Amino acid sequence: MHQLDGRTKVLTVLGVFGLALCFSDPVYLLGVFGGVMGGLTMSQAGANIRKMWMLTVLLFGYSVALWPFFVEGVTPVPVLHGLGVTWEGVRVGLGMGLRLLIMLWGGIWLLSTTTVEELAHASQQLGIPSRAGFVFSLAFRWVGMLLGAGVGVVQAQRSRGLDVSTGGILQRIRKYVPLVIPLIGHALRQTNLLAMSLESKGFHPSATRHFYSTGKLRAQDYTVMSVMLILLGVSLWLRWQGVGTLDMRF
Amino acid sequence: MSLPQDARDSRRWWADLIAAWRDTRQIVLTAQIAAIYAAILIPFKAGIPIVPGFVELRPANAIPIVASLLFGPAAAWGAGIGNVIGDCFGTLGPASFFGFLGNFIFGYLPYVLWGHLGWFSSGQPPLGKSWRQMMEYGVVCVIASAACAGIIAWGVEWLGLLPFVILAPAIFFNNVVMGLFLGPPLLSFLYPRVQQWRLRYEDIRESGAFHIHSSQTLRSHDSMGSEGTNDHFRDAIVECRGLSFQYASGSAPALRNVSFSLVSGELVVLLGRSGSGKSTICYACNGLIPHMIPGTLSGTMRVKGRDTVDDPVWKQAGRVGLVFQDFDTQLVATTVERELLHPLEYRDPRLSVDEVRLRVVHALNQIGLGDCAHRDPMTMSGGQRQRLVMASVLVQEPALLVLDEPGSDLDPAGRSQLRDVLQDLQQDGITVLMTEHNEDYLAQADRVLVLDQEHIVWEGKPETLLRQPQLMRDCGLRPFVLTECFEEWGLEHVPVSVEEAWTRAEELNLRLAPPVEVLDDSLRLGKLPERESTMALPLIQVDHVSFQYEEQTVLADVSFTIQPGDFLALLGQNGSGKSTLARLLNGLLMPTTGTIVVDGMNTRSTSMNELAQRVGLVFQNPDHQIFADTVWEEVAFSAKNMRCSKDEIADRVKESLAAVGLPFEGSRDLDPFSLRKGERQRIAVASVLATRPAVLIVDEPTTGLDPHETDRMMAMIRRLNQEGHTIVMITHSMGLVAAYARRCLFMHSGRIIADGTPREVFADPGLIQSASLEIPVIARFSQRWGQTLLTVEEVKASWRQGFP
Repeated sequence: MHQLDGRTKVLTVLGVFGLALCFSDPVYLLGVFGGVMGGLTMSQAGANIRKMWMLTVLLFGYSVALWPFFVEGVTPVPVLHGLGVTWEGVRVGLGMGLRLLIMLWGGIWLLSTTTVEELAHASQQLGIPSRAGFVFSLAFRWVGMLLGAGVGVVQAQRSRGLDVSTGGILQRIRKYVPLVIPLIGHALRQTNLLAMSLESKGFHPSATRHFYSTGKLRAQDYTVMSVMLILLGVSLWLRWQGVGTLDMRF
Repeated sequence: MSLPQDARDSRRWWADLIAAWRDTRQIVLTAQIAAIYAAILIPFKAGIPIVPGFVELRPANAIPIVASLLFGPAAAWGAGIGNVIGDCFGTLGPASFFGFLGNFIFGYLPYVLWGHLGWFSSGQPPLGKSWRQMMEYGVVCVIASAACAGIIAWGVEWLGLLPFVILAPAIFFNNVVMGLFLGPPLLSFLYPRVQQWRLRYEDIRESGAFHIHSSQTLRSHDSMGSEGTNDHFRDAIVECRGLSFQYASGSAPALRNVSFSLVSGELVVLLGRSGSGKSTICYACNGLIPHMIPGTLSGTMRVKGRDTVDDPVWKQAGRVGLVFQDFDTQLVATTVERELLHPLEYRDPRLSVDEVRLRVVHALNQIGLGDCAHRDPMTMSGGQRQRLVMASVLVQEPALLVLDEPGSDLDPAGRSQLRDVLQDLQQDGITVLMTEHNEDYLAQADRVLVLDQEHIVWEGKPETLLRQPQLMRDCGLRPFVLTECFEEWGLEHVPVSVEEAWTRAEELNLRLAPPVEVLDDSLRLGKLPERESTMALPLIQVDHVSFQYEEQTVLADVSFTIQPGDFLALLGQNGSGKSTLARLLNGLLMPTTGTIVVDGMNTRSTSMNELAQRVGLVFQNPDHQIFADTVWEEVAFSAKNMRCSKDEIADRVKESLAAVGLPFEGSRDLDPFSLRKGERQRIAVASVLATRPAVLIVDEPTTGLDPHETDRMMAMIRRLNQEGHTIVMITHSMGLVAAYARRCLFMHSGRIIADGTPREVFADPGLIQSASLEIPVIARFSQRWGQTLLTVEEVKASWRQGFP
């Protein structure tokens, strides 16, 4: 999976998102989810899923719990009879929860197998201006630096007695001023220097960027993209036939 | 915003958005806003989930609106991209597209709306100074928040992920609360600074004009016995003739009629105190002055025969490679190899893939990073990162390499590596111009230019300069310590190396026989204060402390005590555990095993606030803590956090400012951001002193300071120690330890490998070398006579003539 071209990975993930949007029935979405799980296993991206485990479970649970209250149905759930919750609503909730999981884990798969530069290169090859890709990769790189600086800022202010965990909502919000200002000030103080650094190394917005990394599509890329195209075609046809979709009336 | 009416009228919102991608500073701002947004989004949570997992009250939500009112279109793109980056940390999916769109609008509407709200418009800049400004801000905030919430919630419902009625109010509430309560103080602080840095959208849009006066004829510069001749202009790679420059923001010239040249393969060091114009010359070498730094320029700077004014900066990258003092700002990629590929990707005409591969391999080998091609630069040491930046400019095969104060942020190991690299570059015939404010790299140099008061005052061979300690002092430089030791002997040639000093001593029939006041440290440190009892309880007791971070052992079984009134130096390479130990001492971190007792209190069971009143920690970078509009407010911050009364706060501010030598009068109007780094460092110390701590920990207090500022800083720290504060100083400077510390702890790989007085520790050169540190020059010199002396004064007091 890691050997695939960046374009293949981006298009495959977009295909996965498309598959998830084709269906709303949890049975069909479970099939798509299985495919994503397979991809994650083959890519050995399990560690990243484990890091996000709690968040994804929370989001899944949230979707499952909320949708039944907004979807109409005919078969009431006996235990929740008074709340207007129906089995059809629960099914929709499960489907939407699975759709959310597929999308999130698909995104994690892409980020686990692709470097920021690969993403920038692939996006340029797919027609997105290179400057946008460059800004994205630059910002991604600076996030790490700012997070490091942020730790320093928090420690410096805590050492001076700042405690953001106490007080009411407004007090707490106000207490963030000494944390946010040094971080922004530290970054903006460097803006002119960063612009000078970039131009000193030959960057200019009007200059054309040529990527030197070999970015040729190989047989495995065509195979993966073909499989995804077929799956999407079949899924769209199924949806056209009304298969795998639930009646979602609010 | 205070745009002129005609500019407002001609403002085309779409053109503005496109134009943001045509200017490097706007591109940088876009990336910075995205990074700031994501960096604040990820860790800073107010702990109040509105829709758990989806929407949580976060300070980051004030960023798009604040940035929009300052930076216009760059804020829109930055907010959108920043939200996607935030999603990349776990929630990337199709909903990210709507997140991008919603935040893009949230970051653009305020800029579009401000000043265009009819009756609601204040006609003033976006600051909360009047009720009309506040009202306009409130309306803008509500509209932008609603638009953002509507777009995201609609998109998320369309994807079938969450109902609109749940998400939209939650996002709206989050944006409005943060925008209304956090936005105004942020704007009030940032607006004047951003204006001062000329970063507001209208400033950037209107910038670019610079003035070039007609070139003046070359005049010989003022001389203080210089050795230089104009012969250098023949076959010169660099020709600087009569260069003068005044920054647009400056009230006086930064350079006056500077002339010099460099021939191929030369390594020239430009010496001078802070503010003498060294960096200005660096920036003129590749056209940053005047293309990106506005001001008034006269004279010429030619590199390889081409005037640097004639081409834009980016087109000169193939001729001049510039490595900035803050080299981290030049790193843009996630691997070493990609870092080197990046500049070549913008090269025109394009190179062949084989040529690129050859260049990358050659540049990495040239700089000694041949085996690091796939490493993440952020996992490398400071010295390695700096060499990586050098490789990333050398890969373009420039005629000239310019290094701006390359040694200032490096530890001893990094400085030693830099010396090796300079030697290799010389052997490869690379022309190098580097600036410094001390004599560390003179041994490698072919020539030295001394810059003082905006012009070159001396030029010649390094050895000749080193033999003139008084000249060096006059120019704000620190003389080589051994020349000072021999100054009183009236030598024609004072020694410029340890070996030469030994020879001179032999010639003069001199030996070192230190008297009692040297050996008991009273000459070096003054009379030590009497302690109440030699059995006094330690102020800090560290008992078998270990600390682990992410399964990595940072500290292992560390034990020591600190007595009241100590001046302790913590020494060791980067990563040896010094900073972690400092953070354990003031309770910012808790030991994994073992205990730390401060003034009788276990750090595990004592609140941060209580510990802060006993152990104050001054961080290396003062900009990580300064946030207030005035010096007074900044210093008062910690006292306010301790809920002191108004009178008590005023007393503490006055006392703390006096302790660091800053005036109390005027502190209520003085902007800390407008001060030099040394003064900002003093404010940081004062703000910690306001807690009246018994122990003051200072982390690298002299990094980036020139000799004069270093002396001032160290004199202040010594005074605080003499007044009763216990000092713990983290430093890489062996010279400072030798001059000021009473005791030092040597750390290596998370363990203490030596604990004793500087004289005891420096008496063991093998120990120092095992920790990859350097023994002070005077200690090495004096060990010839079986003594370990630490300062020039001690050597002078110990000279004896004749044999014993």
